[in-house]
Parts: sequence; structure tokens; C-alpha cells
Amino acid sequence: MKSRMLLAGIAMTGVAALAACSTGEGVDLDGADGRVLTAAIAGEPDQLDPHKTTSYFSFQVLENIYDTLVEPDENLEMQPALAEDWELSDDQLTWTFELREGVTFHDGSEFTADDVVYSYNRIIDEELSNAWRLSAITDITATDDTTVEITVAQPTPNLLSSLGGFKGLAIVSEDNAESGDISTAPVGTGPFSLENYTSGDSIELVANEDYWGGAPEIAGVTFRFISEGSTALAALKSGDVDWTDSIPAQQVQGLEGDDTIVLGQNPSNDYWYLAMNQAKEPWNDVRVRQAVAYAIDRDAIAQVTSYGTAEVNQLAIPKASSWYSEYDTYSTDVDQAKSLMADAGVPSAEMELLVSSDYPESVAAAQVIADNLAEIGITVSISSPDFASWLDAQNAGRFDMLMMSWLGNIDPDDFYYAQHHSAGGSNAQQYSNPEVDALLDEARTETDTDARKALYDEAAALIADDASYIYLYNPSVIQAWSPELEDYEARGDRAIRFKSVSFSD
Amino acid sequence: MTMSEKQAPAAATPPSRGSLIGLLLQNKVTLAGCIVLLIVAVVAIIGPLVAPYGVNATNVVNALQPPSAEHWFGTDDLGRDVFSRVLVATRVSLLVAVASVAFALVIGVVVGIVSGYTRGWLDTVLMRGVDVMFAFPVLLLAMAIVAILGPGLLTTMLAIGIVYTPIFARVTRGSTLSVAVEPFVQASRTMGTGSFFILRRHILPNITGPLIVQTSLSLAFAILSEAALSFLGLGVQPPQPSWGRMLFDAQGFLGMAWWMSIFPGAAIFITVLAFNLVGDGLRDVLDPRQRTILEARRRR
Repeated sequence: MKSRMLLAGIAMTGVAALAACSTGEGVDLDGADGRVLTAAIAGEPDQLDPHKTTSYFSFQVLENIYDTLVEPDENLEMQPALAEDWELSDDQLTWTFELREGVTFHDGSEFTADDVVYSYNRIIDEELSNAWRLSAITDITATDDTTVEITVAQPTPNLLSSLGGFKGLAIVSEDNAESGDISTAPVGTGPFSLENYTSGDSIELVANEDYWGGAPEIAGVTFRFISEGSTALAALKSGDVDWTDSIPAQQVQGLEGDDTIVLGQNPSNDYWYLAMNQAKEPWNDVRVRQAVAYAIDRDAIAQVTSYGTAEVNQLAIPKASSWYSEYDTYSTDVDQAKSLMADAGVPSAEMELLVSSDYPESVAAAQVIADNLAEIGITVSISSPDFASWLDAQNAGRFDMLMMSWLGNIDPDDFYYAQHHSAGGSNAQQYSNPEVDALLDEARTETDTDARKALYDEAAALIADDASYIYLYNPSVIQAWSPELEDYEARGDRAIRFKSVSFSD
Repeated sequence: MTMSEKQAPAAATPPSRGSLIGLLLQNKVTLAGCIVLLIVAVVAIIGPLVAPYGVNATNVVNALQPPSAEHWFGTDDLGRDVFSRVLVATRVSLLVAVASVAFALVIGVVVGIVSGYTRGWLDTVLMRGVDVMFAFPVLLLAMAIVAILGPGLLTTMLAIGIVYTPIFARVTRGSTLSVAVEPFVQASRTMGTGSFFILRRHILPNITGPLIVQTSLSLAFAILSEAALSFLGLGVQPPQPSWGRMLFDAQGFLGMAWWMSIFPGAAIFITVLAFNLVGDGLRDVLDPRQRTILEARRRR
């Protein structure tokens, strides 16, 4: 309290001083309010190499350090970033990117086409976690300092969202990456540069005065790691932090009338789903899977996991997206479920439902699902290991049904190909439908947007009809910040951007 | 001769069962503890039969309702009746406590009695092993065991059983050491009686006092350990209710639904307190010196 009073005193003096020299010439207002934003995130990054990490906590920080060639705007349409302009050849196989000039890395070195070539080749050659997003690329060449040519094997209409969807495809500095410093001291071209990383405590960023998009108004960002939601909210209310996304869903309603904070709630591109192991009996029978889809109470599941903040959806892509399509085959109908079970000749079954204790909402939902399925003769035992063990069990096929979510997808190919194509890398449920495979392959290279959407709509409906995934709901992005923080926006892709925010006094 | 006549009844003949229970129940606090335990035991047996609602029956529309005539203890985040769950959880909590302490008792007594009676290198080896186990904090060791074996009801019992075994081994060994040098044991041995017979006939009956007390106290700690393990998400797995698991589920709702945590918390508190009170009462009665004082008081 004392120190805050003192700060207020200093600020007042500052205002008085400004008022005194009212000519205003040369007074640096940015410097005057130079306040550092403190953000509480729910966990610590595992590392800060954007090409290697898969942790959302890392990307919350890296979003502010790095740039990509293109980046999604608030409607998730791709906009110029490090690339100012691009052209696509008539045969749809060569993309030419014109890069922004005069951009420098935080260490002062100049950003050139070679950095782009190096970054993408690093991901592809070292087979890093996002290599699959670049799988269509056959060649990347720097034709001069500011031009990059990317050749693809077949028409790839989603190349832009693959290159710019998130900071996993960031353009890195070769020196920084080769020296290995990148995992703790990353050097980017973004609006903030890393100043200090204290493991277990905080990450401090300072504003990049030379940022190509204009220097940020705030002096810097300090990320603190507070996993306990109530603690993070208390810190926000007391003014210790200015922003947090560590918010338990059940507390959202209570926060809505609270004018000491601003609550940002936005439909996200994430989705939660159930998937049954089709390598096992009786889940290989489509009628049993449909019976499960009819037996569960989606509204109840969405309620206990999200407390009215999520939107129930029977497909993956949310309403807000231009790729959304209507689908409502399943509604809770126990009689229909029972008759499907009878048709399949499965009067009763035992099911191991795999959820993770790291996602408490999945454990809550599992108990509702167990209760729902008991009505149609399926006895559910719930297994809730930590997420690492969950992944092992999924990959080894040790489950009857699992519940999990996907996040950060933008293009419909992200939503459906890896999960439901017979050759898909994330098809843990072992779904195989030649018709779906053909549709997904065709949609991948279809360049006409409307025709492409029609293909995905058809594929998605087939996937849901076959209950390869039983889609549950799209959760909301829920963030809260201080009323003094201005121009911040909770984005549907969960990107945390502080480059254009400012503080009111 | 007069000396040994005086000593003999205290050391060799255990007090008659009737007088023991009479002494025990004379203490009002112990009596209260016994009554509470009796009620808890009855609830454990008939709980699932008398519970007004299905223990895992979710009703999300009815979630987070405060206590009312319909739901005496309110409802939880999935709309389940907290009263029914507390009742049914009694059986799980008691089952874990009794099974794990029984495990610890059997293993601990065997290790302790062998150790204390045979002495020598076997004693050294067994007791150093017990020392190693004592070096770990109880809960940490239990968590490590669960981490290796995977969470669940059975591993919870096993983990708690293992961590309480050393205490029983120590108590048994100490008592065995002092009983083994008594004249009647020496006499029996001189007459050529086999070791197993001596252990069963002479030593075991004379060390039951401390063991009963230890059992009663360990039951209290076992209930707490089960609650702690379940609270950490390592014990009983959902949807099966246990008091600790209910507390775990309630922690996200502390500010919104006090009834989710108060009632299972109170159940743990009352049961553990009752076990401790009865344990204290038993110690007073079974300790020969304490008993003399009690009997003297009674005569007055």
C-alpha cells in the first residue's frame, strides 16, 4: 500500500512537470507512462525454442518475441507480417513472398530472406514438431535479400495458415539457433525482446523500440507463473498482476458483475471430443458408437466443464468460423441408443474411459458420461492418469474411449486430416473410411474456397455419422485484465498479443 | 517369594475381559468415542442401503444446491447428493483403514516378534530395514508406492499398509524384548518348550495391550492418510466416493459451495477424533501402571 501511494505521488509530480512545460515539444509521452505489464500465466514454459516446444505456456511468451511471415488477424484471416506481399503462380505450385525491408532482430542483425530459408529448413530437416505443416513444400529459395520462393508438390490452399497460424513457425535467427541459446534466450524480430528469464519465477520482456510495426506503448511485459486460479484472480484484483488467463470456469459467472476487472470471453477454435478405440470390440461396430453418441448428455457435459461458457457443437469447427457447417444428428435419446445397442447385439459392455487428471474438467465430464452410459448397459470405469501417461496410453491404444481436446487449429485441414484420414498422424482411434480419405485428400488441394468448404462439410458429416469422434463443445477463451489496460483483445486462437496495449492513468 | 507373588498377576495373567471393558466405558470421553465408532461402523454397513439418492447419479440441472430438506448436505458440482455420498464413502474410508492396518499389524507383528525373540543378526537386519522405512515421511512413502503401482482402491490399501508396518514392528519388538526375559518365559524354555509355542502361548498374549492401542491410533492415521492420498488424486478413483476424494473435488468450489467440503471434512474429523479418544482410553486401561491408578480411583 505504502509503495503504491509513493508511486502515485511520483506520477502526480510527473503530470505537474508536464503541465509546466506545456510547449509539449519533445516530451516523450511513451516514456512517461513506461509501465511494465505483469501477466500471470498458468504454468511455466518448458523451453523457449519456438520450433521445438509444444507447450502453450511457451507460446504465450513467444507470441510477443517472434514474428511469422503472415499472421492471423482477429477474424483469423492471414495478414502481412514479415512478408509484405505474396503472389501465387498460375499453376498454384509456386508462392513468391516479398519480405519487409529494414527489419532487425533483437541483437541488431538484419532480417533477410536467408533467415526465412534457414527457419523453415530447420523445421523440415530436423523433423521438429511442426514439420507436418510444411510437408507439402518441396523447395525454399531466397532469390534475393527480400524475396523467398516456396515450391509445393501440389496446390496447397492452406499454405498461409500453415506458415503463419501460430509462432511455432516463427522466423528465428540462425546464430541464436545454432548456438543453442534459443531455448533459454531467444532472439526474434517481434515487439518485445527477452530481458531476463528466472526459472521457476518469471520471464521479463522489454519493448523493442525498433519494432517494424511501431514501438509498443508499454515498457515491457513480465510473465509470472501462477497455476492456482484463485491465487491469480486475487493477484489481479489486488493489482499485483494486470492480466491473467488462469481462471477456473466455475468462477466466471461470479466475475461478470465485478468492475475491478475486465473479463474477456471469446468463442475459441478449440474443441473437446470423445473417441472410441475402433481396434477393439464392440467399439468397432458403428452402431455401438452411435449409441454412445445418442446416450450422452452434451448440455450436461458442457455445463459441468465450462459453466455455460462453452458452445455445444456436434462438429469440430465453431460457429464463428467461416468453415462452420450445421450438423445436429445426435440429441440425447436413450431409446434410440438402446435400440442401436440391440441392433448391434451388444446388450451390455465394459468400457475404460481414459481422461487426464491434468484436465480436471475431463474427470468431471467422465463422471457424467459414466452415469449416462449406465442407462444403456455400458459399465464405465474411469482412468485419470497425468497427461504424459494419458498420451502413452493413447498412443499404445490402451483405451476403450478417451476424452480430450484439440486447440490452435485454423484451417479445416488442421481439424480433420490428421485425426480422421486412414494415414493421419493423430488417428489414435484407428478410423478408416475410404470415402472420407478421398474427400480429405481432394479438399487438401482444392483451390476454390467454396468447393473446398463443400468437400469438408461432406467429410465432417461422414466422420460424425460414423462417430469417429463424438464432438462435444467448443470452449471459450477466458481471460481477465485490469480496467487500466486498454486495447487488449481476447482472441479466438488464444494468441496473447501485448504489442498494441497501453495503460490509462 | 512374597515379591514374586505380588508381581506375577500383573505380568503374567492378562486382566479379565469383563473388568477391562467396564474400566474402559467408565471414562465418559472414551464412551462417547465408542458410541461414535459404533455409529460409523453401522453407517459403513448399511450406508448404501439407506442413502436417499444414487451415489453416482448425476443431475447437472440440480448442481451446487445448498443444503435443504431434499438434499440435507446439498449437492455437488455434478448435482449428486452430498449426504448420500458421505454415507457411502464411510464404507470406503473404513474399509481402506481397516484393511491397511490389518496388513500392517500382521506383517509388523511377525517381523517384530521374530526380531525381538531371536535377537542376533536377524534382529539387526530386520530392524535396520525398519529404520530405513522410518526415514521416509509416511505420506511421501505412500505417494511413492502409489506412483509405482498406479492409483486405485487396492493400491491405496497396500500403500498405507506398508507405511504403517514399521511402527507395528517396533512396538512388537520392544514388548517382546521385555516379555522374553520374564521368569515364566525362561522357565518354559528351560522345560524344553518349542519356540513357536512360547511365542504363541506366552509372548503374544502379553504384548496385546500396546498392540491394541497402536491399532486404534493407526486406524485414525490410516483414515487421514487415505483422505490425504485421495485429496492428492492418488487414492480412490472417481466416481467412487471417499471422504478425501470428495474434499479434492470440492477444492475448486470452496468459495461457492461450502457444503461440498464441510460435510466430508466433518466426517473425517469426527471419525479420527473418535478413534483417537478410544485409543487413549485403551492405553489408560491396558497400561498396568495406569490401570492401578484407575482401579484405585474406582475403589475410592
